[in-house]
Amino acid sequence: MEVKTSKVRTVLAYILLLILTFLCLFFFYILIVNSTRSHAQIMKGFSAVPGKAFVVNLKHVIHDANIPVLSGIKNSLIVSAGAAALATYFSAMTAYGLYAYSFKFRKAAFIFIMLILVMPTQVSALGFMRLMDNMGLLNTLWPLILPSVAAPAVFYFMYSYMQSSLPMELVEAARIDGCSEFRTFNRIVLPIMKPAIAVQAIFAFVQAWNNYFIPALIISDNKKKTLPILIAALRSADFLKFDMGKVYMLITIAIVPIIIVYILLSRYIVAGVALGGVKE
Amino acid sequence: MASISFKNVVKTYENGVTVIPDLNLDIEDKEFVVLVGPSGCGKSTTLRMIAGLESVTDGELYIGDRLINAVPPKDRDIAMVFQNYALYPHMSVYKNMAFALTLLKEDKNVIDEKVHEAAKILGLEEYLDRKPKALSGGQRQRVALGRAMVRNPSVFLLDEPLSNLDAKLRTEMRSQISKLHQRLGTTFVYVTHDQVEAMTMGDRICVMDKGVIQQFDTPQELYDNPCNLFVAGFIGSPQMNFVDAVVEKADNGYALKFGETSLKIAKDELADYVGKTVVVGIRPEDLSFDKDFLQDGNTIKANVDLDEMMGSETLLYLAYGDDKLIAKVPSPCPAHTGDDIEMIVNLERLHVFDKETEQAIVNC
Repeated sequence: MEVKTSKVRTVLAYILLLILTFLCLFFFYILIVNSTRSHAQIMKGFSAVPGKAFVVNLKHVIHDANIPVLSGIKNSLIVSAGAAALATYFSAMTAYGLYAYSFKFRKAAFIFIMLILVMPTQVSALGFMRLMDNMGLLNTLWPLILPSVAAPAVFYFMYSYMQSSLPMELVEAARIDGCSEFRTFNRIVLPIMKPAIAVQAIFAFVQAWNNYFIPALIISDNKKKTLPILIAALRSADFLKFDMGKVYMLITIAIVPIIIVYILLSRYIVAGVALGGVKE
Repeated sequence: MASISFKNVVKTYENGVTVIPDLNLDIEDKEFVVLVGPSGCGKSTTLRMIAGLESVTDGELYIGDRLINAVPPKDRDIAMVFQNYALYPHMSVYKNMAFALTLLKEDKNVIDEKVHEAAKILGLEEYLDRKPKALSGGQRQRVALGRAMVRNPSVFLLDEPLSNLDAKLRTEMRSQISKLHQRLGTTFVYVTHDQVEAMTMGDRICVMDKGVIQQFDTPQELYDNPCNLFVAGFIGSPQMNFVDAVVEKADNGYALKFGETSLKIAKDELADYVGKTVVVGIRPEDLSFDKDFLQDGNTIKANVDLDEMMGSETLLYLAYGDDKLIAKVPSPCPAHTGDDIEMIVNLERLHVFDKETEQAIVNC
C-alpha cells in the first residue's frame, strides 16, 4: 500500500515538474521558432513548427547598417565580462577585508554597504550621468564596467560564504608561512572562494548583459551600443520597415551567449544554490 | 638560539577584557614546554602571541635575544600547527608542504628534497599528490606537522593539535610528536587542555588559570609537589581527593582530623594552623587496602558508590559523609558497589593546603 502511494506521489511530482519545465522553456522555444519564420508568417499567428526563414532573418539582422549587431555583441561581451570580473574580484576583496580584519569602523562599513544595496539605480542615475559627463566618459564603455567594482549584493554573498567556508586559521597559517596580505588573498582566499565567485560571476554577467537602463543613458554612438539597446532600437524602428523575424532573430542572438555561459558554469550554479549552509 | 621569554606581558582585547594580566615566562632553547589549563585560561592567547597572531598589549616578548613585539609572524622564524590542521584545501599535500619554501623562492630541487625528507619521516610519501580532503584526520595532522617541519623553524608552536583525533590516534601521534622533538632538537611550545598529553610530552609544564601561571615545572614535580589547590586538582587523573580537616597537636607532631580519621604527620609547617581548618589532598592511588601503610588512625571508612574495572586497576567511587572520594587500587579489587570498606591513607604522600589562600602548606 505504502509503495503504491509513494509511486503515485512520484508520478504526480513528475507531472508537476513537467508542467513547470514546460512553462519555463516554452517561451524560449517559441522565440527560437519565430526566429526561423518570416515576418509574414509570424503575423499570421502562432506556430510550433520552425519556418525556413532562419538564414534570411540572420542576413537581414547582420546587414542592417542601422543595427551593428556584431559590434553590439562585442560591446556586450566586453561590458559583461568586465563587469563580472570586477564585481566578483573586488566584492570578494571587500568581503575579505571586513571578514578578516578587525578595525574601528568595521560595523559601520558593513551597514553602509548594506544601505547601498537597498538604493535603486534610478535614484542615482542622473548624478551618475553628470559625473560621467564631467569626467569625459559619456559615450564610452567604461561607465558600464567600472561601477561593478561596488556590488553590495555580491559583497554580501561573498561575506556569508566566507563565514561558512573560510576558517581564519587558514589565513593565519598563510601569514606564518610568509605570505603577504595581498598574496594571501590571491593565492589562498580566492581559490577557496571559487564556487562563490563562479555563481556571482554568472549573475553579474547576466545582469550586465541584460542591462538597458544605464547603457541607454550613457551610449549614443551606434558603434558602442550594447545588444539590449539595439533590440529596443529595432523594435521602435519605422513601421514600414518593421520585421518581426528580424526582432526575434536579434533576441535569439542576444540570449545565445548567456546560454553558453550558463552551460559552462552550470555545475557551479547548482553547487552555488546549496552554498552557505555547507560546513565541513 | 631559540629561547622564548615573556617579560611582564599583558594582553588586553579590544573589548577591554584582559586575558593575560602579567606574564613572566622563560622557555629554554630546545625545550618542550606544554601550556595547559582549562579553556579560557589564556594558554592559546599566549601561544598566539609567540606566533605574532595576537599583538602584545604591554611588556616584552623575546625569541632568543630579539625583541619580537612588532615583528610580523613570517619574520619570527616559527612554524605553527593548528587544531583544525589549517591545510590549504585547494593544494596537494606536496604543495601544502612546499608553500612556505616557494614563497621564500628556494631552489626547486632543494624544496623537493626537503618535502620528500619530511614526508618520509612522517610516512606521507604515498599521499603527496592527494588533496587534504582525501586524507584521514591523522594524515592531515601529519601534513600539518610536515608543513611546519620543512621550514626548519627555530620554534615549533602547536595549538591543541590532537584534539580532533580519536583516542587511539591521539596516543600514536603523541609519541610521534615527542620523537619529532627529539629528532629536530628545536624549541616546542604545545598548548593543550588535556593533562595526560601535558604529562607525557612536556619537559616542563606551565599550568595556567585565568591568565596567570600557577606553576611551571617538570611533570614529576607538578605531580609530587603541586603549589596550590588548582594545580593539585588539575594534574592527575582521576583528580586528587580533597577533604577538609582540622589541625590538632599530637604526640610527635600534628594530626589532621576529619570524621573518625586522624592523619598524623610530623611537619612543622603546620604549627601555625593548629585549631584551623585546612584542605587535605590525597591522590586516588594513595588510598589502598595495603596493610603496610597502616598506622594509628589513618583509615577512612566509606561506602562504595560504584566500582569501575579499568583493566589493570579498579576505580572505587566512595561516599564519605558529604564528600566523594575516588580510590585507585590494583585489580582484582576485593570491594564492590554497595560494600562498606576501610581504606588506608598513605601518609607519606599527603598534601595539605591552606583553605583560604589555597596555597600548599606541605607536600609530604
